[in-house]
Amino acid sequence: MAKKDNQQIEEKENLAQEAPVNAEQKPAEEVKEEKKPNKVASTIGGIFYTLWRWIKRMFLGASKEIAFNDDLKVTRLESPSRIAAQKFFRKKVAVSALVVFVLLFGFVFIGPLIFPIDYSYSDPAQSNLAPTMSLRAVPAELGNTGVRDINGTASFSAGVSKENKLYVWGTTKPTITSGDISVFPESIKNDNVALAAAGKDHMVAFTTDGYFVGWGDNSLGQYGSDDPESISAYPIDPIFKTKLDPSRYGGLYACNQITGAIYDSKLYVWGNKNALTNINDLNKNYSANAKKAAFGYYRGIVLDNNGVIHGYDNQELYVNTRDSEGNCKVYPSASAFLKTKKIVDIAASDNVFYAVTSDGLICAFGTSNYGENELPLIPDGEKVISVSAGGKHAVCITDAHKAYSWGYNSDGQASFKGISGYSAFGGARQTYVADENGKLTGAYGLKGYVMGTDGLGRDIFTRIVHGGRMTMTIGAVSVIISTIIAIIVGAISGYFGGWVDMLLMRVTEIVGAIPFLPFAMLLSHVLTYTPVDETTRIFIIMVILGILSWTGLAHMIRGQVLAEREKDFVLAAKAMGVKEGRIAFKHILPNVVSVIFVSVTLDFAGCMLTESSLSYLGFGVQQPRATWGNMLNAARSDIVVRNYWWQWVFPAIFLAIATICINIIGDALRDVLDPKGSGER
Amino acid sequence: MAKYIIKRILYILLVFLILSLLLFLIYNMIPRDQAYAATSTELKNLPSSQRATFDWGDRYYYWQCYYGENGSIFERYLRWIGLYPYTYYDGSVAFNGMLEGNFGKSIVYNKPVVEVISAPMGNTIFINVFATIIGLGITIPLGIFCAVKKGTRRDIGVQVFTIIGYSLPVFIIGIVFMFLFSVVLGWFPVSGSHSTFGYDEMNAWQQFWDRMYYMALPLIVMTFCSLGGMTRYVRAAMIDALSLDCIKTARAKGLKERTVIYSHAFRNALIPIITLVIGWFLGVFSGSMMIENIFSLNGIGLFYYNALNSNDNEVVLALQMFYIFISLAGNLIIDIAYGFIDPRIRVNK
Repeated sequence: MAKKDNQQIEEKENLAQEAPVNAEQKPAEEVKEEKKPNKVASTIGGIFYTLWRWIKRMFLGASKEIAFNDDLKVTRLESPSRIAAQKFFRKKVAVSALVVFVLLFGFVFIGPLIFPIDYSYSDPAQSNLAPTMSLRAVPAELGNTGVRDINGTASFSAGVSKENKLYVWGTTKPTITSGDISVFPESIKNDNVALAAAGKDHMVAFTTDGYFVGWGDNSLGQYGSDDPESISAYPIDPIFKTKLDPSRYGGLYACNQITGAIYDSKLYVWGNKNALTNINDLNKNYSANAKKAAFGYYRGIVLDNNGVIHGYDNQELYVNTRDSEGNCKVYPSASAFLKTKKIVDIAASDNVFYAVTSDGLICAFGTSNYGENELPLIPDGEKVISVSAGGKHAVCITDAHKAYSWGYNSDGQASFKGISGYSAFGGARQTYVADENGKLTGAYGLKGYVMGTDGLGRDIFTRIVHGGRMTMTIGAVSVIISTIIAIIVGAISGYFGGWVDMLLMRVTEIVGAIPFLPFAMLLSHVLTYTPVDETTRIFIIMVILGILSWTGLAHMIRGQVLAEREKDFVLAAKAMGVKEGRIAFKHILPNVVSVIFVSVTLDFAGCMLTESSLSYLGFGVQQPRATWGNMLNAARSDIVVRNYWWQWVFPAIFLAIATICINIIGDALRDVLDPKGSGER
Repeated sequence: MAKYIIKRILYILLVFLILSLLLFLIYNMIPRDQAYAATSTELKNLPSSQRATFDWGDRYYYWQCYYGENGSIFERYLRWIGLYPYTYYDGSVAFNGMLEGNFGKSIVYNKPVVEVISAPMGNTIFINVFATIIGLGITIPLGIFCAVKKGTRRDIGVQVFTIIGYSLPVFIIGIVFMFLFSVVLGWFPVSGSHSTFGYDEMNAWQQFWDRMYYMALPLIVMTFCSLGGMTRYVRAAMIDALSLDCIKTARAKGLKERTVIYSHAFRNALIPIITLVIGWFLGVFSGSMMIENIFSLNGIGLFYYNALNSNDNEVVLALQMFYIFISLAGNLIIDIAYGFIDPRIRVNK
């Protein structure tokens, strides 16, 4: 009782506060006058006004005018919807579900603006990475003692300090078969690493005591096949099994499943035969007199001691001198340009090669997809002296000791132009800059993936954000379609009865008898034979889901309308000569709104689940577009279920949270809107 | 009663015809010309000397007649159903449609569809019946319990559990269970319908147990998925039944609570429950599609999925008709069951 009293007192107080304000601003008469023009609800504005009034009534109760009557001031009239809203907000579980859902909704609709997605993007070097934030976490010790070299191809990077110590960071278990890269073999000691290189799934090093060491995945002979007659692996030269002379080390390179080494000015390349298209040429024709080598994802090039490059494809070549429009100068033939110049340094990103000429120019040649050949504008008087490349970006150092970066700038790895630096190193997605003592002054680029990456190297977090938007949009649109059909059919059928009812209910039964999932799959399959683009296809899927799922609600609305149309107010409306259609849709339908509301909520979850099921089976939205369902499609393979938990756990959690929240909200709504109901599904 | 049943059957037949026509029209959106394909094959197989004299138009017409592809779309539809005869090249006339048992031929297996789908059909029916029985065995007592103890802490606990149960899609539960029980704990095989090696050497009893071992996890998942929705439904039906006046009367008479619940209330709750049971049993046919896909269980659902992916369109069509048939048969059974349980229904109609 005490609680009730309190409430009443509170309400009184509220009224006391509201009443004078309202009275000042809008005297009751004025309110009435204002309403008049709106009563002619023939315009679009009128329709919106009606809708707004329904919603207002739903949550805020009926018009305030009643409250001005003194008799009603004490026991204020509460509209049923207002009571329902109050009841709803008293349910803790429902309110928390609502809060979670609103947050999730905001997350998937605002998120895409913050985290843009490139659907055409994929990167095998970043595939199947577990959630990590350590990709550019350079050990402090290395940064302070002085960096000699840093390199990385994929998910982990290797650094060698000036004191010959090797450091490894990043995802050091890049594949299932590679083992843990950060566990060094016994022959690697604290101060004996001369050169080291990190490949995609393996690691190689030259030690100061003259040995070649490799570890990690060796299934394709990445660091030396044990089987000399293997078809897939190019054999390692026997010289690397013997003790080497550290003073003749020329360079060590590791890339996607291959290793390259320059020893005694001779280039040796071994590993997966198919990883490089020109692995034979490199070993046979270009191996002599080598100074430096650079390996892209499919091709390698060599720089010899005379300043000539070998092994490149004769493609267009970009130079950082500008033409009149400020673009990089383009030469149609790379070889014609390079033959005239002496080259001092080379580097390779995945698909583009870079060369620095003796007169301080930098040029790029190869297939550029991410702006790798948009070379930086270097101020007059500065000359480029060295270049280093990451996966899709590059960085160069000028003789004024400035570092310039360019290329794919997804995480800031190519964001700086002209910062001070004496040496710069490109990791897979990272850039590291060091000063004259080798001390690390900056690390830029990708820190890691909050939720890991999928099989094509795409960030799962971004895809979840975008997939959520797609899933929820499809759910919402199909629910709107199905609700509109259900309202029209249900209302007409219930109100008019007779043969109209008979006909419409038979149609409803026929549609209801269609087995949902197989039929939707068939329709989606038929769609593949028609020339529709993906957006149209997604729209058609929404329509299919809508058209197949309205029957339950139509039945329910019909039942409600049947009950309502016998009531007196309908009789009154008829007596006043209101048109039939108007009675059905304007007088009866608002009384059925609670049923519709509950059903729409629950159906929303249902449609999301159906879309997910379809996409999971591969008959819904197609890759590369993301939905939570088709992200789970990867989990159809038990390799993924076994090894890459992050690829299915995160989408599953999001989908589950969304549907559970919606169902809890819908359930609570039904409890409060329909006092008679008993939670029937 | 008989009149009512006949009325329903006739109605269902009409619906079946409408749906099959709809399906046939959709199916015809897939561009296909079997006669063309057959004629081309024939031409290809001819020795090159005879190719010059090959009468394309004539042979094409022959194959068109053979596949019943000549004539309007309605003629073709009726031929497919089996209500309109094929007119063959030599002028002979014969019915050869679905009603005559011709469901077409699978291009992947090169066998009649009926022959190909019988084995997976057995698997699907087996797991569905099994899962239904286990599911009902758990959910009906649980639902009654919750309804009787409505509002208690235990009831609310079960409600939270069930709401989570029916909100989660089948495939998430499937993947999670597969991960937990097959990958982490290693109790069950990950996928497949029987052992790959040594299955043929086993005797019938061993084969049965081997298959059961492979089906165990799908069955568990299927049952688990049904618990949420079914329990809620039974609970709701039971609560409605318990609020009836006759229950008050029964209690006022001093009947034992057991008798009131199981004899008086449960009978009244039976109508919605029967709808549910039959509806659910039919639902599992398409629902088991997901399960079969996750666990690569050789059932109708997986077969349908594979047929769609390999463009084995005759199989797709036949299975689609099967799904529709099952669904309509279910509706018919529900109607008839209603008629038996609730005399008001058959009088009203």
